[in-house]
Amino acid sequence: MQIELIHRPGNTAAKIQLDQGESCTAESGAMIAMSGNMDITTTTHKKQSGGLLKAVKRMMAGESLFLNHFEPKAGAGEVWLGATLAGDMMTYDLDQESLIVQSGSFLACESSVEVDLGWQGFKSFLSGESVFWLNLRGSGNVLLNSFGAIYPVEVNGEYIVDTGHIVAFNESLDFSLTKVGGSWLKSFLGGEGIVCKFKGRGTVWCQSHNPTSFGSAMSSDLKARKV
Amino acid sequence: MSFTQYRVVLTGVLNPGVTQEQAIEAIAQLFNTQPERVSQAFTQAPIAIKKDVDLPTAQRIQNALSQSGVMVDIQTMEGEAVSSGQPQDVSIKGDQQTSKGSDELQRYDMPGLQFSIEGRPDYAFLTVQLPKNETLKVEASAMATMDTHIVMKTKIKGGLGRLLTSESLFINEFTAENGPGEIGIAPGTPGDLAHVHLNNETIYLQNSAFVASSSSVITETKWQGLAKGFFSGESLFLIRCSGNGDLWFNTYGGIIMLDVDGDYVVDTGNIVAFTEGLDYDITKVGGYKSLFFSGEGFVCRFKGKGKVWIQTRNVGAFLHWVEPFRPVESSSSDD
Repeated sequence: MQIELIHRPGNTAAKIQLDQGESCTAESGAMIAMSGNMDITTTTHKKQSGGLLKAVKRMMAGESLFLNHFEPKAGAGEVWLGATLAGDMMTYDLDQESLIVQSGSFLACESSVEVDLGWQGFKSFLSGESVFWLNLRGSGNVLLNSFGAIYPVEVNGEYIVDTGHIVAFNESLDFSLTKVGGSWLKSFLGGEGIVCKFKGRGTVWCQSHNPTSFGSAMSSDLKARKV
Repeated sequence: MSFTQYRVVLTGVLNPGVTQEQAIEAIAQLFNTQPERVSQAFTQAPIAIKKDVDLPTAQRIQNALSQSGVMVDIQTMEGEAVSSGQPQDVSIKGDQQTSKGSDELQRYDMPGLQFSIEGRPDYAFLTVQLPKNETLKVEASAMATMDTHIVMKTKIKGGLGRLLTSESLFINEFTAENGPGEIGIAPGTPGDLAHVHLNNETIYLQNSAFVASSSSVITETKWQGLAKGFFSGESLFLIRCSGNGDLWFNTYGGIIMLDVDGDYVVDTGNIVAFTEGLDYDITKVGGYKSLFFSGEGFVCRFKGKGKVWIQTRNVGAFLHWVEPFRPVESSSSDD
């Protein structure tokens, strides 16, 4: 599987080339074009693993319940993937390790990578923030997208990142949700709400823009929904 | 062929008085890359340093590099030479430099109108130079700036069909009366612009992709047929552009040109344009489970030989993303 990113950083699309016998898994709705010999199968779980329970967990993660698997039928094939929002993409090569990914940032992975809702999910759920985490495990290439630019932060010790700005982080980092101000009230009034505090050693990939802030900025100008 | 793509080839030749280090630094800066990669390219010269660009872009790169004393050639992707950089004295700057540039443009004898596209690929903006009495067709409301002696006329093109496309009903015609003028055109969505010079060829545009064309290009709406139009979820109409002349169309997000030979599948929301001669069908991807749950819905399957332009972003998908942010209003109150 070869990934090529084009039109970076603003209008990034990824071209994934698959040889015969190779396959990849992508977020539903991410395909923008593909060669005619590409076969799509849609499942509620990764092939040969998990089951409906995992799919339900993934749906709770704000990620679609379904994943698409692409596999060229005869010979090699290619798939183009694009995200909804303007921004960059990055690839990461997993080597018998785990990467925790913010659910909206997951785009695709090699079939050898396991997609699962991370253990942090429950903790985030309790916090009331609609941020959920996917746990990508195993070995293989992973493709992530961001809203705006992506920048890595090497953490050694402690570091705080706003929940809406996290793309992914190494599982070696310990992670807790906390308030940024002295008190919950101050924190809330300051507009920061809940932030993530990382402890340990590893990398956090951040995105320059927060999708929820963008949506909120447009909100008052949008036509109201009738209920 | 008017869809020719060009490449910029580093010859390795430098202006007198320019060191390789300076040249490497200039190229690294222009392409926003590592100096090490550039110096590696120098050892392999002649080598293509930019591929698949249109002629104006290639010329811009050539101009920028010649100002730093680096000579590059422009070739078609097939290797046919278009223009060679000639060593020149770097001390010549200013007027002489720019006049040389315009001479070169004329020397290529490019067919069609003179134009430039700036802000690519994220915020492309088109500026067209109109000779005296020349008329340009522009999508309604896309004109951003123009000289005062350019006069606008609104015409209803394509009759009822155009009314039914979600594209606005009108194409405005801008004519340079009493002398040549310049017009700046900004598409509605942030993204890229593509230019093709039609030479008795036909291109079909997705209904909101039209930006501008020379007056000799015939634009008409084409009924896709109920099955194709309805199921594609996009529009029942395509815009058919034919004849001779320049045509510009825009995308939401980056633009990707695909050479189709055989068959290729494109999400209906990401189609921008395609050349005539390609057969297309609206189909489902995979099985029925994929139809409803893959998030792809219906896709367009192109068959035959030709070119398809696609965009990296999808307006429909963005609207879907915005949906949860809409304020909620009780049904009793007015909109």
